[in-house]
Amino acid sequence: MAIDGAGKTVATLKPKEKFDFFHDERVRSVAYQILTACVVGWLAWYLISNTAHNLQVRGMNTGFGFLSATAGFDTDFKLIEYKPGVGTYGRIFLIGCLNTLLVSFFAIIFSTVLGFAVGVLRLSSNWLVARLALAYVEIVRNTPLLLQIIFWYVGVFALLPRVKNSLDLSAGAEVAFLNNRGLYTAWPVPDDLFWMTIVAFLAAVVGVFVLRRWAHKRQDETGKQFPIWSASIALLIVLPYLVYLASGSTLNWDVPTLQGFNFAGGAALPPAFLALLVALVSYHAAHLAEAVRAGILSVEKGQTEAALAIGLRPKKAISLIIIPQAMRAIVPPMISLWMNVVKNSSLAIAIGYSDVVALFMQTALNQAGYAVEMVGMTMAFYMFISLSISGVLNIYNKRVQLEER
Amino acid sequence: MSMVKHEKTAPRDAPLSETTFIGWLQKNLFSSWINTILTIISIYIIYSVSKSLLIWGVLDAVWVAENRRECFAISKHGACWAGVLIWFDNIFYGRFPRDQIWRVNLGGLLLVLWMAPLWLPRVKDKIFIGLSTVFLYPFLAGYLFAGGDKGIFMQVMTTGAIVCLIGNTVHSILGMTSGRSLPEYLIAVLGKEKASDGNQRNTLLAILAVAYVVVYALQMGWTVMAVPWSKWGGMHLTLVISGIGITSALPGGIILALGRRSRLPVIRVLSVSFIEIFRSVPLITVLFMATTMFPLFMPEGFVLNKLVQVIIAVCLFSACYMAETVRAGLQAIPKGQYEAAHTIGLGYWGMMAFVVMPQALKHMIPNIVGSFIGLLKDTTLVSIIGLFDLLGMLRAISQDIPWRGLHHEPLIFGAALFFVICFAMSKYSRHLEVKLSAGEKH
Repeated sequence: MAIDGAGKTVATLKPKEKFDFFHDERVRSVAYQILTACVVGWLAWYLISNTAHNLQVRGMNTGFGFLSATAGFDTDFKLIEYKPGVGTYGRIFLIGCLNTLLVSFFAIIFSTVLGFAVGVLRLSSNWLVARLALAYVEIVRNTPLLLQIIFWYVGVFALLPRVKNSLDLSAGAEVAFLNNRGLYTAWPVPDDLFWMTIVAFLAAVVGVFVLRRWAHKRQDETGKQFPIWSASIALLIVLPYLVYLASGSTLNWDVPTLQGFNFAGGAALPPAFLALLVALVSYHAAHLAEAVRAGILSVEKGQTEAALAIGLRPKKAISLIIIPQAMRAIVPPMISLWMNVVKNSSLAIAIGYSDVVALFMQTALNQAGYAVEMVGMTMAFYMFISLSISGVLNIYNKRVQLEER
Repeated sequence: MSMVKHEKTAPRDAPLSETTFIGWLQKNLFSSWINTILTIISIYIIYSVSKSLLIWGVLDAVWVAENRRECFAISKHGACWAGVLIWFDNIFYGRFPRDQIWRVNLGGLLLVLWMAPLWLPRVKDKIFIGLSTVFLYPFLAGYLFAGGDKGIFMQVMTTGAIVCLIGNTVHSILGMTSGRSLPEYLIAVLGKEKASDGNQRNTLLAILAVAYVVVYALQMGWTVMAVPWSKWGGMHLTLVISGIGITSALPGGIILALGRRSRLPVIRVLSVSFIEIFRSVPLITVLFMATTMFPLFMPEGFVLNKLVQVIIAVCLFSACYMAETVRAGLQAIPKGQYEAAHTIGLGYWGMMAFVVMPQALKHMIPNIVGSFIGLLKDTTLVSIIGLFDLLGMLRAISQDIPWRGLHHEPLIFGAALFFVICFAMSKYSRHLEVKLSAGEKH
């Protein structure tokens, strides 16, 4: 309703638009959606019915019952107890997932550290160092990862000395050995009272958080600074060590010793694991280095100048002004790189490291059949990991989003 | 007393660090003691790596030998390039019949001929040339590579491709020399500049039809020997798989990206889940899915060969990655462009085809080249499921009895090959990026 000049209300003119069924946007959008749903639904039904028919014709079993059936093959590398003929396919799946997670975990940590280092070297004022870092990044990024993995495996780790002439990595202390069967290191064996030390360590971690909050609060109120870093490190080391001494517990080391043709005792990592780890680390570090470089360059020069102008020393300017802003640009590509590490660890299959794809999707599938279930489970595992990592990324993005005025 | 200075002050000399070599060294390599240490370490690394590579790979290397043992006999600690050289044809062409290799080369040559006009100045209608590369070249190349009996469909398509190739080439030569396009030239030759548009168009169509019929008649007598897909391999197979992957990824990616940005919930949800599922799993699982589950999906008795399975998997996978590239390109287009397109009365498809996509695609070219590099590298995974692509062939050398155990040389050769291709492409895409963004700044 509108009011005209004389104060009378007059009915607003209704648009004289005819409802045209074939040219109405709403009708069309509903029609498009129904059409799409029908096509996709038909396709899904077609594939499923074909699959069901084929499974029946070939006499293949279906269902997830196989997970509790015993598997007859062994794996060379496992983190949990498993015996062929006793362990189940469900356990095989678990071993595969854990192996994938183990190599991805270490690869993520090492490649992040190396990537940051190389990224900073790329920006070094030293011409030669910057060029060297550039050469590393370009060579690694422009050759296929699979080729690199195979090269590290057959070209480096398979050519290490035999067990008898193992390289001693601990320089004579004889606690870590490298040979063509892998890496053997001493492994701590905690005794009954060791839990007290772990509790003390956890308490120290909590203490560090409390200390940091207190120090921040004090600095806000009084302006006095507190040496947080040295205090935290001292707390983290001293407290567990004191408890360790006080509780009288002892930490034994299980040292690998040469017995017959191989080492016994300690922890052992197969060469395939090492080759995969090295290849994943060097490949993703090169990618991360580019992201780090771009992130640091994305902070405007004015920010540094402003920080110096208000009297911050260069070190403080870097840690308080540049790094926090650069991280905003670095973290999203970094997390998607972590996702790539997990996905690319599936290339383990080429060199025989028993990750989830090699163990479950290939060996177990060849042994037991159940193609649909096994492929589905493996993909679901990767989807779960990817979705959790991207969930973390979303939370981070929300927290650091630039609040523009 | 005047304070005006009459003689001109001589400009100060540039600082030594800018003019002399020693100064440059001081500024860039030895500016502080940390930098000095880093420089020395770097020099040591470069020296030791290049020295051992030079000695191993060039000075002590064996270039001609019958087998690995002979290599060892000639030089114990040098590279044995003889194995790589003897396998050279295998690395590039796989097990393609040796007397038919010209077909692979011709296919590559035709692709260069077809796409070269895209980089030449003064050639018009580059979009048409680009589209014809995507839609017609694969049929011609496909027949060249596979050979055998041509069905009616293949005859029609290869004829179209040949006519188009001839037209393209003549068109670009004309464009280079006179700046005119082929249709303009034909009209001028026939003296029909004054004729009506309809008349001109009919004339051109008639010429096209005559050319088509002539080529069709000629190609009927042309057949080449059939080469089964299992004989394909090496670099050729790698390029075929990644080439098909990237060309089909583009339309697929555009559709998925539009679906993802659609306002219609059903379409959006379907696109998002399709994209996210394929992006969250590794390519190798998709390839395994293709080889183990596609046979189950197909109706009974319908068998896809392994190459087709792999190509379908690669296409699905790369389309999902391309969708994200396209989405990023679409997001970079300002909202005003969409609104302007609506204002002048374009509908959704008109808006996308004539206003948004051309701009977005231009921005995306560097990223598309980047995806192609990624796909080319990822294609090596097909060697895991038993196809003899470039990496598969390189690995096969070490299984060959005379060359058993020859691992380093083939892998390094392959790495160098990939490096040259990928590095050149990434440099080119960076150059494009600079060139394209330079047009933006006024």
